[in-house]
Amino acid sequence: METTLAQHIVTDLPQVTALGIIIKAIIILAVISAIAGFGTYIERKVLAFMQRRLGPMHVGPFGLLQIAADGIKLFTKEDIIPQNANKFIFMIAPIITAATAFIALSSVPVFPDFTIPEFIPLLGGVFVPSIASDLNIGILFVLGMMAAGLYGPLLAGMSQANKWGIIGAARTAVQFLSYEVVTGLSILAPIMLVGSLSFVDFNNYQQEGVLSWMIWQQPVAFVLFLIAGFAETNRTPFDLLEHEAEVVSGYATEYSGMRWGMFFIGEYANMITISIIASIVFLGGYDSASMFGWLTIMLKIAFFFFLMLWVRAAWPHVRPDQLMWLCWKVLMPLALVNILITAIVMMV
Amino acid sequence: MSLEQFKNRNVGIHTYKTLDVGTPPNTGMEKFTQVVTRAVKGELFVGLWVVMREMINTLVKGDVHTVKYPFEKMPISPRYRAIHDMLRLLESGNYRCIGCGLCEKICISNCISMDTRYDEEQRKEVSEYTINFGRCIFCGYCAEVCPELAIVHGPRYENASEQRAGYSLFEDMLTPIDKLNLQQEYDGFGAVSPNADENITQTPLAY
Amino acid sequence: MYELIAFYLFSALIIGLFLVTVMSKNILYAMTSLAAGMVLISGFFFTLGADFLGVVQLIVYVGAIMALYSFAMMFFDATKDIKEKNTSSALVFLLGGMSALVLVLIFVGLNQANLAHPDAITALYPMTEGVGNAQDVGMVLFTKYLVPFEVAAVMLLVAMIAGIILAGKKMDDSLTEDLGADEEIMIVKDKK
Ligand code: SF4
Ligand code: SF4
Repeated sequence: METTLAQHIVTDLPQVTALGIIIKAIIILAVISAIAGFGTYIERKVLAFMQRRLGPMHVGPFGLLQIAADGIKLFTKEDIIPQNANKFIFMIAPIITAATAFIALSSVPVFPDFTIPEFIPLLGGVFVPSIASDLNIGILFVLGMMAAGLYGPLLAGMSQANKWGIIGAARTAVQFLSYEVVTGLSILAPIMLVGSLSFVDFNNYQQEGVLSWMIWQQPVAFVLFLIAGFAETNRTPFDLLEHEAEVVSGYATEYSGMRWGMFFIGEYANMITISIIASIVFLGGYDSASMFGWLTIMLKIAFFFFLMLWVRAAWPHVRPDQLMWLCWKVLMPLALVNILITAIVMMV
Repeated sequence: MSLEQFKNRNVGIHTYKTLDVGTPPNTGMEKFTQVVTRAVKGELFVGLWVVMREMINTLVKGDVHTVKYPFEKMPISPRYRAIHDMLRLLESGNYRCIGCGLCEKICISNCISMDTRYDEEQRKEVSEYTINFGRCIFCGYCAEVCPELAIVHGPRYENASEQRAGYSLFEDMLTPIDKLNLQQEYDGFGAVSPNADENITQTPLAY
Repeated sequence: MYELIAFYLFSALIIGLFLVTVMSKNILYAMTSLAAGMVLISGFFFTLGADFLGVVQLIVYVGAIMALYSFAMMFFDATKDIKEKNTSSALVFLLGGMSALVLVLIFVGLNQANLAHPDAITALYPMTEGVGNAQDVGMVLFTKYLVPFEVAAVMLLVAMIAGIILAGKKMDDSLTEDLGADEEIMIVKDKK
C-alpha cells in the first residue's frame, strides 16, 4: 500500500510505452465523446420514464438514432455570433469548456491496466496503462482542471453582450468558487487516510472487498463530495447557471449549433469525471486483480451517472442564496469537522 | 377518460385544500434544528423513491401516459370551440340553416360572409357561405346566436396552415349527406347545458 | 532537449500573453490572456517535476484568484474598450525601463556569481527519491518555513475578519422587504 507510483511501475508492471498512452488517450476521447452523446439519450429516456413518458421513440428503434439526428442538427445549424459580442472570446469559450473537461479526464483511471491481446494485428501486445498520464497528484490535477474549466461559462457569459449571459457568468463564478472549496475539503479526509494523491493508490487502498471501501470510513466526506460534485457539474439541484425558468439559458443564451454542443459535451464529460472520481475514491474503484475489474467500475460509474439523472427527475432546484447558504454555512463547516475528526482518529 | 370532469361546471372554492405548512423558524437555533431534522428525516429520499416507483411502473407495467399525438388523440370536450360544422336536419337531410344572417351579423371579427336567395318553393336558402378562418377568433358567438343550431363548433382543432387566410366553404363544413346518421347532436357552446334541469329550478336566468 | 523546447515555448507564450494583458484595452482580452498565462506558468512547474506546485498554481491562481478578478470585472461593460487616462507616458517608460534594468542587473550579477562557482548551482531542497512531491513540499513547509507559513495564515485570517466586519455591519437588515419564502407561505395560512 505504501509503495509510491515510481516503484509501482518499475517493479510490477510491464513497460509503459508512448503507444499505450496514445491508445489510452484515443480510447478516452472516443469513448467519452460517444458516451456524452449517448448520455443525452439516456438522460432523456430516464427522465421520461420517471415522468411516465416514453421519451424519444421515432428515430430508429426506441429512438436510438435520435443521437445521430441531434448531431446532424447541431453540426449543420448556423453558428450565430451576436453583433456586439466580443467575437474572439465568444468563439473560444466553448472550446475551453470542452478541452478542460477532456484534459481532466486524462489523469483519471478508467479501466485497470491491460495488455492488448496478441492476436490483434499491429497493436497486439501493447500495454495500455490505466491512466493516460499518471500524475502523482492526480486528484489535485483533476480539481485544478475543473477549476480552469469555469472559464468556459465565465468568458462565454461576459463576451456575449447579453444580460442573461452576464447573470449566468456571475452565477458561474459564485457557484464554482464556493463549491470548489467543499470538493477540496471533502476529498481531503480520504487523502489523509490513504496518504497519497494518486488515484492508483486510492484504488489499491480499497482492494480488500466491499468492506474496505472508503465510503464506510468516510460517509460524511462521500455525501459532501457528491453534493459539491453536483454543484460543480451544474446538475439539477444546483443548475443555476442556465436555469431556463430564471435566466433563459444563462451563459449559453446566445450560443447555437456546435458551439452550444461543445458546452454540452463538456458538461457531460465533467459528469463522467465526477462519477469516476466518486467511484474510485469512495466505492473501491476497479479491482485490478480480477478479470472483471473494468466491469465493476463501469457499473459504479453508470450508477453515479444514473444518480444524477435520478436526482434531476426528483428534486427541485434551489435558489442562489440557498445555494451559497448551504455551501458556506452547512457543507464547509461539516467538511472541516470531518477533517478534524479524521485527523484526531489517525493520530490516536 | 370520461367527459364528466369537462361537464362539471360547478367548480368552486370548496374543492381547495389548505396545506398545513407549520410555523417558519425564527431564531437561529430553530433554523438549525429545522435543517438538521430535514436532513436526517430523509424527506429527500421519499422524492427519490417516488420517481423510481414511477420508472418501475413505466418499465414493468407499461404504465405510460404518453399520447402518441398524431396517431392517437385525446377525447375533446364538446364545449371546445374549433372549426365550425354546419348541421343538417336528421329526418329530411335538409340544411338546418335558414339563412337568417344572425351569425354574419354577430361575428365580431367579420369573417362570415353569406348570401341568400329564394329557392323554387320561395323559401329562403343560403347560396354562399364562407368563413375566413384567418380572421375567426373562435369566440363561439355564431354558434350561440344561431336559432336553429345549424352552425356549431366541431372537434377539428388541427388548423395550422401555410398562409393566414383560410376560407372554408359551406359544403366543406356541411355534414355529408351519406354520413347523416353519424351526425352528432351538438352539446357545446350555445346548446342546452347538460344540467339545465337543475339550473332551471334554481335560478331561471342561469340557463 | 524536450524540456528546453518546452521551456522556450512556454516562455514565449507567457511573455506574449502577459504583453496582451498589459497592452490590451479590452478587459476581456486582458483577463483571458492573464488566465491563460497563469495556466502556462503551471507548465513550467510540470516540466521541472514540481507537479504539486503546478497544480496549486492551477487551482489557486487560475481557479480562485482569477475568478475573483473576473467577478469584479463583471461590473464593467466587458464588450467596450477602456479609455486610459495616461498623463505622462515618458514617466511610465522611465520607471518601467528602470525596473527592467534593475532586474536584468540582478540576474546578471547572480549568474556571474554562479559561473564563478558552478558547484553552487544546486537545489536548496532537492527532490527526495521515492517521496511524492506533495510530501516534499509539506516537509519543508512545516519544518523550516513553519513560522512564515503560520504568519501568512494569520495574515489571511486578519484579512478575512476585516472583510466580514466590513461587509457584515448591516448583514441583518434586509434591503428588500423582509419576506422570506417561508413567511409568504405563512401569510396564506394565516388568512385561513
Ligand atoms: S366563432 Fe366568432 S369570430 Fe368565428 S365565425 Fe363565429 S362569431 Fe365569427
Ligand atoms: S345564424 Fe344559423 S341559421 Fe342563421 S344564417 Fe347563421 S347559420 Fe344560418
